[in-house]
Amino acid sequence: MPMKYIIIVGCGKTGKELAVEFSKEHNVIVIDKFRSALESLGDDFNGKKVLGDALNIKTLENAGIKEANILILSTGNDNVNIVISKVAKKLYSNIEKIALQVYDTDKKKIFSQEGLIIVNKTYILVEVFKKCLL
Amino acid sequence: MFIIIAGAGRLGVLLAKKLREDNHRVAIIDKSEVVCHKLAEELKSVLIIQGDAASPKILREAKVEKADVLVSTTPSDADNIIICNIAKDVFSIKRTVSRVNDPQHLLLYKHMDVDVPIDSTSILARIVEEEASFSDVMNLLSIKKGRLSIVRVDIPQGSPVVNKTLREVSLPANSVLISIIRGPEIIVPSGVTKIMAGDEIIAATLIDNEKHLIRSLIGKI
Repeated sequence: MPMKYIIIVGCGKTGKELAVEFSKEHNVIVIDKFRSALESLGDDFNGKKVLGDALNIKTLENAGIKEANILILSTGNDNVNIVISKVAKKLYSNIEKIALQVYDTDKKKIFSQEGLIIVNKTYILVEVFKKCLL
Repeated sequence: MFIIIAGAGRLGVLLAKKLREDNHRVAIIDKSEVVCHKLAEELKSVLIIQGDAASPKILREAKVEKADVLVSTTPSDADNIIICNIAKDVFSIKRTVSRVNDPQHLLLYKHMDVDVPIDSTSILARIVEEEASFSDVMNLLSIKKGRLSIVRVDIPQGSPVVNKTLREVSLPANSVLISIIRGPEIIVPSGVTKIMAGDEIIAATLIDNEKHLIRSLIGKI
């Protein structure tokens, strides 16, 4: 895959793993509102960090969202992930793919929209269990 | 009317009380069990639901589909937006009103189609600014995407318009004097109304003519 410009919002467990992994071959920027979360990325991470509130459009633009190819929302808060992904989808047509983590299965159904990849842990686990057991 | 309030903080509770006084039907939703228990004793005639208002199940419990308006007052802007969105998209609520906690999130509310986002911090800041300022001119409101503004101008002693009737004052095009506040009185001005020192004039003007309007009222800028 050619080099992509990837923005990851939320540097928790998932965000961190993704950031380290993707930064091996891509241009990665991680946004988090806590300095400690960004610091936890350690030396394995080879990208840029932006400290700030991603619900503020200025923060997204400082992170270069107007040039980004991929946006990943992994803040651990469904509502934050949904709001940012929907607004980004509306405002920045340059983004080719938007993926977001949503824990609540009801919300996954309600906010499904073309062009948004909604990742739901429960749903994935159920699929895996089914494959293993049936 | 039937109004649903999400969030039983100070604003939500005050709003519920006011709406009940005006005989509206009110339901209020809050996550906290403690808050809901306390509220149940305080507000007897209000339906109180404990739970996450951003969940369709809880909204259904509040009978949101029968509501005329949903008001979201939680301290999280993402929650407020999602609550308004679910109310609209799932339950076809026509009007959603929300408090905006952080003024920098206001744009998100607009892009996410919350009907009436109320940015209380900015409103308060404007009032404080007005009360604290010594300036003769105050921009009260910008409408039509900032093309039209409503201003308040205090007429000082030395203004060229003092003791003149409106007919004698030449105002720039596309400017209208809406009212003159003189002490406790609000005067709707006509051509024969005389402007006096100390009057507060509320005027609407196209933004391009604002400076010209102010210059003609106070003689400087």
